[in-house]
Amino acid sequence: MRPRQWFYTLPLRLRTLFRRDRVEQDLREELQYHLEKKIQEYLATGLTLDEARRKARREFGGLELSKENCRDTRRVSYIQDLLQDLSFGLRMLRNSPAFALVAILTLALGIGANTAIFSVIHGVLLRPLPFPKQDQLMILFEKNNDGTRSNTSWATFMDWNRLNHSFTGVAAVSFWSPTFVGANEAETLIGFRASSALFDLMGVKFERGRNFLPSEDVRGNNFVVILSHGYWQRTFGGDPGIIGKSIQLGTRAYTVVGVLPADFPSVLSFDPRKPADIYTPLAYDATLPYACRDCRHLRAFARLKDGVPIAQAEAEMNQISANLFREYPTAYSASGVTLTPLKDYLVGDVKTALWILLGSVGFVLLIACVNVANLLLAWAARRQREVALRAALGARRTRMVRQFLTESLLLSLLGGGLGLSLAWSGVFLLQQVRVANLPRLENVHIDAWTFAFTFGISLITGLAFGLLPAFRVSKLDLNEALKESGKSTPGKERHRLRSALVFADVALALLLLAGAGLMMKSFIRLLEVHPGFDPSHTLTLTLSLWGPKSADAPAVAFFDQVLLKIQALPGVESAGIVSQLPLGGNLDMYGVHVEDKSLPNPEEDPSADRYSITPGYLRAMRIPLLRGREFDVRDVATSPMVALVNESMARQFWPGEDPVGKRFRMGDTKGPWKTVVGVVGDVLHKGLDAPHTIQVYLPNTQFTDSMVILAARTYNDPTSLAAAVRSEISTLDPQVPVSEVATMNEVVSASVANQRFGAVLFLLFGAIALVLTAVGIYGVISYGVAQRAHEIGIRLALGAARREVLSLIVGEAMKPALLGAALGLCAAFGLTRLLSRLLYNVKPTDPPVFAAVLLLLIGVALLASYIPARRATRVDPMVALRYE
Amino acid sequence: MSRPSDLVQGTLDLLLLKILALEPMNGYAISLRLKQVSGDVLQVSDGSLYPALHKLEQEGWITAEWKPTENNRRAKFYSLTRLGKGQLERESANWGRLSAAISNVVRLKEV
Repeated sequence: MRPRQWFYTLPLRLRTLFRRDRVEQDLREELQYHLEKKIQEYLATGLTLDEARRKARREFGGLELSKENCRDTRRVSYIQDLLQDLSFGLRMLRNSPAFALVAILTLALGIGANTAIFSVIHGVLLRPLPFPKQDQLMILFEKNNDGTRSNTSWATFMDWNRLNHSFTGVAAVSFWSPTFVGANEAETLIGFRASSALFDLMGVKFERGRNFLPSEDVRGNNFVVILSHGYWQRTFGGDPGIIGKSIQLGTRAYTVVGVLPADFPSVLSFDPRKPADIYTPLAYDATLPYACRDCRHLRAFARLKDGVPIAQAEAEMNQISANLFREYPTAYSASGVTLTPLKDYLVGDVKTALWILLGSVGFVLLIACVNVANLLLAWAARRQREVALRAALGARRTRMVRQFLTESLLLSLLGGGLGLSLAWSGVFLLQQVRVANLPRLENVHIDAWTFAFTFGISLITGLAFGLLPAFRVSKLDLNEALKESGKSTPGKERHRLRSALVFADVALALLLLAGAGLMMKSFIRLLEVHPGFDPSHTLTLTLSLWGPKSADAPAVAFFDQVLLKIQALPGVESAGIVSQLPLGGNLDMYGVHVEDKSLPNPEEDPSADRYSITPGYLRAMRIPLLRGREFDVRDVATSPMVALVNESMARQFWPGEDPVGKRFRMGDTKGPWKTVVGVVGDVLHKGLDAPHTIQVYLPNTQFTDSMVILAARTYNDPTSLAAAVRSEISTLDPQVPVSEVATMNEVVSASVANQRFGAVLFLLFGAIALVLTAVGIYGVISYGVAQRAHEIGIRLALGAARREVLSLIVGEAMKPALLGAALGLCAAFGLTRLLSRLLYNVKPTDPPVFAAVLLLLIGVALLASYIPARRATRVDPMVALRYE
Repeated sequence: MSRPSDLVQGTLDLLLLKILALEPMNGYAISLRLKQVSGDVLQVSDGSLYPALHKLEQEGWITAEWKPTENNRRAKFYSLTRLGKGQLERESANWGRLSAAISNVVRLKEV
């Protein structure tokens, strides 16, 4: 239409849209006028009033049809129809509140669950890191001879930096746990030493201040720090004048030069629950003892130059690595470098699990759709007369299909709205309670993307479950429907359709339940794993010494003092100190070089978990001594070096021999020999589902750490002693920071947080599926028997036994249910294979789980069809017959 | 929209515009006039007259106004707009060309 025409007709259109009543009134009046004139005309020819009226009407054709055609000429009628359909739909829903409630709740569950999982996937997996050209950011690892990846050393990092042509730069970071010393107390921070190039490489725009200068990345000149946004807010209240101020870390004053932006992801922290607080320059030089070529404790980051593909960079790095291996054959166990895009590295572990969750939750939505389609069909059948009447009055089929689709879209949007709030609560719970240990969880929001997703799937589901009933309605046989009885015959087709819905429901539910069963069984198996220690009644906390106290001798003395005080507390059975806690997330490993068994290239010798302990630790943790002796007061710094090894290590190096008395070196190949004095039980260190590793225990007098974990076994609830233990330590020295107070049970539980998250979600999806299926079958059967009340009445009146009628009805429901279960079973056999990576010690086709799920589902289907069937057969046949 | 099948597509619009070009009229009067001028050859059912009028109104070619009739009833009177005049000229010209062309075809001698 041309603009000029718009100008002319705009008032008309606006009037059509907003003054609908007036326009309708006008239309009615206009046609009425016409009819009256006609009637007058015929009266003048001598017809009676009645005849004249009839003739005028007949000549006019369908009055309502003509009106509708007039309405159609107005282009705005689409919007208008929509409004009309919507208000009509709302009225219809209000008239059937039970139907509306069940449909909306069903949809809300389906859409809400999908929205929640989608928002997690979007925040964790899809959203790019907030760095320019984030695809170019890589994390670099050395390859070990056993195919695993390892950190790199400063010497290697410097060579990579010097020799490569693929990267704009390479940066390295190492752990740093400084102690912030405030006016009243001290706090251990999570920090990193980072090359000055790091933040520039990532393209970080500082919230305040600046990046480190290259001149500050030099030993002796490195007393500057950059704060994370969170730490700046938490400790300094977001002080705008923080730049240039000096803060006390341990015994040194550091100048704050920068604050990172709030959206800087904690890409450097390896535990998503513990984001980094503070950064200082790496500032290594070759004279440092830990700058050696096999001191692998640095993590390297790099940015690809524009246009350089990963494969090309990897090929170059492999070449560089091969040259280095040739030059220093005893400093590496293998040659090779792996490049991993930073984002893949961050989320790689949870990627599969999250996509599988999205897939499963999609099935939940399918079940919801099937159920609502079914509800709508029943609803539509009840409205047959209304539909037939409208059709007879000239409403066209497309118009009625539109009406029905509008109603189902209305339902799905209402369900979507409610689902969105469900999802919002779910995400809130996930973030606040941190039920899962997911990386980038802080990025998960209910945002515009989530809205778009919810709106999209609401529309799609609305169409999916609405089209079927809509088209069925539009194909209605008017004569049949308008008959006074207003009852449709059950009809083979309708019965088939209902059976198909039961079939689909059961098949989908079985698939989900199989997944839920497997995940639960796997999780239970995981919890049944004995970690090698007794986690009950054990309190743990982290102590970090700083300043002069952190030197070896004073540290050992202080720990002894602490242990004396703690052991004297009533309620404490035993206490000990260890350098890293099993399942606690640390990975402190050293290469072990066993006398006469070391390989020509010592780098190829295996590494063992290293625990420095006080004598009471094994007892406090209930780690059994299998041979030899524990450490005692005779094992001091100056006495012969001793060690305990675990069973796995004894078996690996001294099969069939007594390990006691054997000797090995740790880390350094030229260090002093350590003599094995005993063998202890294996402890699971990396996770309950991880394989056993070789482990070495050293007396903390001979290998001293300043940051340790205290473990105290108590007689009663360990949390009740936390305050007393803290106060003992603070009495000894208020400046020693105590952190991460937790029971050992909590530590174990946190280590399986993700497995629990998966199992719980699967269980939730399975439960929703089961309930929806039960409701669905129940609905189908009740509707079916309501339709056939007459037939049932006749059967009963003719002398059929109630039992027979009952089994007839239940049988009709169970046939498609059993077929659905069979198909679901086949599908489950095929699809649960995808779960295998998430399962611990359970085969994806575990027969007991499949059998249990099958029985459960058949039981529920039986019950859901039996209840309405029984109700139907209880009806007095005479009532049913008279019901006509 | 349903249209009388024996009217060439678009002809009804032309007829209505032409009738309204002479004087503003209400729907009933238009139906009488149609019958009268075409001598019952052009059968336009009342049911399809009004949608056609409303369509022309929507196009902006005619405009409607409620006015009292002879015997003091209110009726909706349609009149041609400036846009409608232009449209009438275009459609008349088209019709002339079309009918001339068809006449020529019809007059062709069979060989």
